[in-house]
Amino acid sequence: MIEYLIDGPLWYFALVVFCIGVLWQLASIVFARSKTDLSVARGSATGGAWRNVFSRFVPHHEIAPQIRIQVVAGYLFHLGLFALLFFAAPHVLFLEENLLGFGWTPMPHWAFIVSAQFAFLGLIMLWLRRVVNPVSRLISTLDDHVAAILTFVVMLTGCFALLEGSTALRLLHRFTVEIWLIYFPFSTLMHTFTFLPSRAFTGAWFGRRGIDA
Amino acid sequence: MVYFLQEYFFNCFTRSASIILLSLSLLLPQLSNAAIPQKHEDFPQGVSAINPGSELWREVRQRDSAVTGISQVKGVETGVLINSRGGQWARFRIENPVKYAPMVLGVVFLVLVLFYVLRGKVGIEGGLSGQMVKRFTEYECIVHWTLAIVFLFLAVTGLILLVGRPLLIPLFGKEIFSLIASASKEGHNLFGPIFLVSLLMMLFSFVKRNIYEKGDLAWLLKGGGFIGDGHVSGGFFNMGEKTWYWIVILIGLVISISGLVLVSPNFGQGRLVMEISHLVHVFGAIILTAISIGHMYMGSIGTEGSLEGMKSGYVDINWVEAHHDRWAKECHENEMVISAEEYARLQGSKPDTAMEKEA
Amino acid sequence: MSERLERGLETLRGEIDGKVKSFFSSCVRCGICAEACLFYTETNDPRYTPIYKTEPLRKLWQKEYSFWGKLSSTLGISKPMTEADLADWEELVYDGCSMCGRCSMVCPVGVDISMVIFKVKHGLAKAGFSPEGLVGATQRAIDIGSPMGITMKAVRATIKHVEANTGLKVPLDVEGADYLALLSSNEIALYPEYLESITKIFDHAGVSWTLSSEAYEATNSGLQIGNKKVAGQLVQRVVDGAEKLKVKNVISPECGHAYTALRWEGPNFIGKAYPFRVVHILELLDELRDAGRLVTTGMEHERLTFHDPCSIVRRGGIMAQPRNLLQPLAENFVEMADHGAMNWCCGGGGGVSSNERAEELKLTAFNKKKSQIDALNVDAVVTACSNCRMVMEEGVEVNEMEVELLGLTEIIAEHLVEKRPE
Repeated sequence: MIEYLIDGPLWYFALVVFCIGVLWQLASIVFARSKTDLSVARGSATGGAWRNVFSRFVPHHEIAPQIRIQVVAGYLFHLGLFALLFFAAPHVLFLEENLLGFGWTPMPHWAFIVSAQFAFLGLIMLWLRRVVNPVSRLISTLDDHVAAILTFVVMLTGCFALLEGSTALRLLHRFTVEIWLIYFPFSTLMHTFTFLPSRAFTGAWFGRRGIDA
Repeated sequence: MVYFLQEYFFNCFTRSASIILLSLSLLLPQLSNAAIPQKHEDFPQGVSAINPGSELWREVRQRDSAVTGISQVKGVETGVLINSRGGQWARFRIENPVKYAPMVLGVVFLVLVLFYVLRGKVGIEGGLSGQMVKRFTEYECIVHWTLAIVFLFLAVTGLILLVGRPLLIPLFGKEIFSLIASASKEGHNLFGPIFLVSLLMMLFSFVKRNIYEKGDLAWLLKGGGFIGDGHVSGGFFNMGEKTWYWIVILIGLVISISGLVLVSPNFGQGRLVMEISHLVHVFGAIILTAISIGHMYMGSIGTEGSLEGMKSGYVDINWVEAHHDRWAKECHENEMVISAEEYARLQGSKPDTAMEKEA
Repeated sequence: MSERLERGLETLRGEIDGKVKSFFSSCVRCGICAEACLFYTETNDPRYTPIYKTEPLRKLWQKEYSFWGKLSSTLGISKPMTEADLADWEELVYDGCSMCGRCSMVCPVGVDISMVIFKVKHGLAKAGFSPEGLVGATQRAIDIGSPMGITMKAVRATIKHVEANTGLKVPLDVEGADYLALLSSNEIALYPEYLESITKIFDHAGVSWTLSSEAYEATNSGLQIGNKKVAGQLVQRVVDGAEKLKVKNVISPECGHAYTALRWEGPNFIGKAYPFRVVHILELLDELRDAGRLVTTGMEHERLTFHDPCSIVRRGGIMAQPRNLLQPLAENFVEMADHGAMNWCCGGGGGVSSNERAEELKLTAFNKKKSQIDALNVDAVVTACSNCRMVMEEGVEVNEMEVELLGLTEIIAEHLVEKRPE
């Protein structure tokens, strides 16, 4: 019964909430009214937007020494998570069988494990920094903690199910993934997508003024 | 137990040193052709004879090391068809580490409870002042807690793997336990290398201040304040903390390396190496877990004012005076002490709001 | 709900557009912006974290635009915004932020934090939570025509003084001139050498220019306090003055926020594009230099550095020009650490210097500049913003530093060749 629910209706429900939620949130940003800037542009807004989308992947050297923990742990976590999410063999197979109908070459098992270890280490350090540092502690909201812990739980249940030998452990992982998907569009997890328009808006602003930000 | 270990390792070594090599793949068909009776008529009725099967079985088990197998499969111990010592090892494991580990941890726990009941929280003369000194950087706190979280996770999953069968099966039943055990095994294996990485971070960020120096011995002779008048002299880290640091680093490295040997059996290590690693791993882990229970006790409810040091990186100056008087002097000399208000401000506590000011 | 709170919230609601939504949705509260903010680095007070200064707007967004906010208000379990949510931020936003925009450069998800802070200012100003100093300056700007209370009479006195010094005529209200030059209050009251310098330079370069008796003030207190209506009113004065004299260009003086107000925000404040071009004095001087109309001689022998005014460089995009102009004149020029788009603010931008209440905090923030200047061991700091110059002069005096503050235009004027080769 539970198996049916998790593999069937709940999965589809989570998927629908995730997709519609994300699209809705993005649409509310893209289609929100915005005033045209009446000042005479000095440079290209579009160029600035594109440049900023990519340039912000690398911190300015003037600030890098002060934010080493966030940069290193941040990259460990995000790259690790991205790699294991899309290139771990069980995930590739799952996406092929359940969603896309096509697959791609997954990474070897050891690489999967190493990226998971990077992701865990990064996430733990990032969350600890959030709690230890007075600045992040002050500005963090409940949502930030819930999102971090939920992501951790999803990764942990995935790690528990690594043997791929038990239906119960697989279901546990899938169930946490579904909760995560449902929570996603209404939370800070949306930064996965909204960092793009955010960088683009700011980049366009700088681009108009002829500044390389 | 010592006797057993001697005998156990002696057997292992003699077996490894045996030089008679027979090809099992060649021998087995021959043996079977020769020895396995084809028809009942082959045996004369009423004559008692040694069962030739037992001869074969003895050879196959390689019990007396008289026969060593050869296989075309090249690898570690591919010449062993049946590991006859497996049962011995299993019994040894159940009778020793599995039995004693919970006892050790239980005793440590009881001692601490007893200590708390008898002595209570170790306070600070004059209480906390509210004036603070920065002791650890943000990075140091993060490294500490990363190591702590990963260690706790490994300790719990490790204990489940070690003593879960006798302790958890009666509680949850075999089916649920099999899930817990499988999950613990995967979790334990994946988090192990993370422990090593955070251990190295701990090694590098704290090593300078943990080198023993003059004055540390006096601390030891006074038993860290438990013997004598109670006042012991200490620097930035006192003798006890330094020793704990080196225990963490050294035993941590031993556990990590033995763990890596166990988790990746593809570097030529055989059963013997695995078994030794297993014992070293368990032994080190139990010691580290036992002491870390003490560390957690002393760092939280055991000693007034300690936990704050790892939460915010700041400690109360009275706490410093009590436990690290030599460093306290430095703090005063370098004007590192800040007021309670300043500390609250640095921690982002909200000052009186504009609305309140007006009222 | 009080009427002022409602007014404030209504204004804030009007500020929530697609940008703001994407900003708040993408912010992960990493705290990196704090490391970029001199009010944080010099005080270590987490409350000065740039993104924390946007809390009033974020709270409103969270309550009225986010799923959880809408859900809890439907269920009646959300606490409404209170006056304290605005009042408590007045000090952070007005005293603890110089609108320097350094935070906007470092945000990994690309939030233009200082723009959001400006939006918060708008709400606070509408609700009446603004510091007295700025309120007074804004009132003076509307009533008298200048935030420092400088009247046309004072301008005329300066003109007279400049004409006596240079022997040149300062054109006033000349119809059909190419350029209309504006002044900041500071330049009239404290640094008349600016007017003197441009008079000399324009004469040397043969620029057709004029001052206007109706539009002489370039600064914009409306921008500093966050009142868009007043800001529009003040910009309109300039537009009217320029249209009346039928000039083709308006010159924004050596003043940071004036450039933002005139060049970038002005058309949006008044809701229509200008019929003229706005050019910063440094841009114009560099153009003249390029065209060979500005010829200089000799060099400054002192050890010099350049302080990049935030509004002109980081937020204004004029980065190469000051260097093109200064380097040929400075024998011993050194760049400051973090110069250019990532330069540290003097601590007095965004209206902080007009806000007496913020004096102490401003001087604490100046410690950043002090350590930068000390590290260079220079004789003089050149800048191109009279406000930066004033704030740094005060900081230098209070800290008893042995450093001189110079305006870039002034240095150029001192090095003009006697007669420009035709």
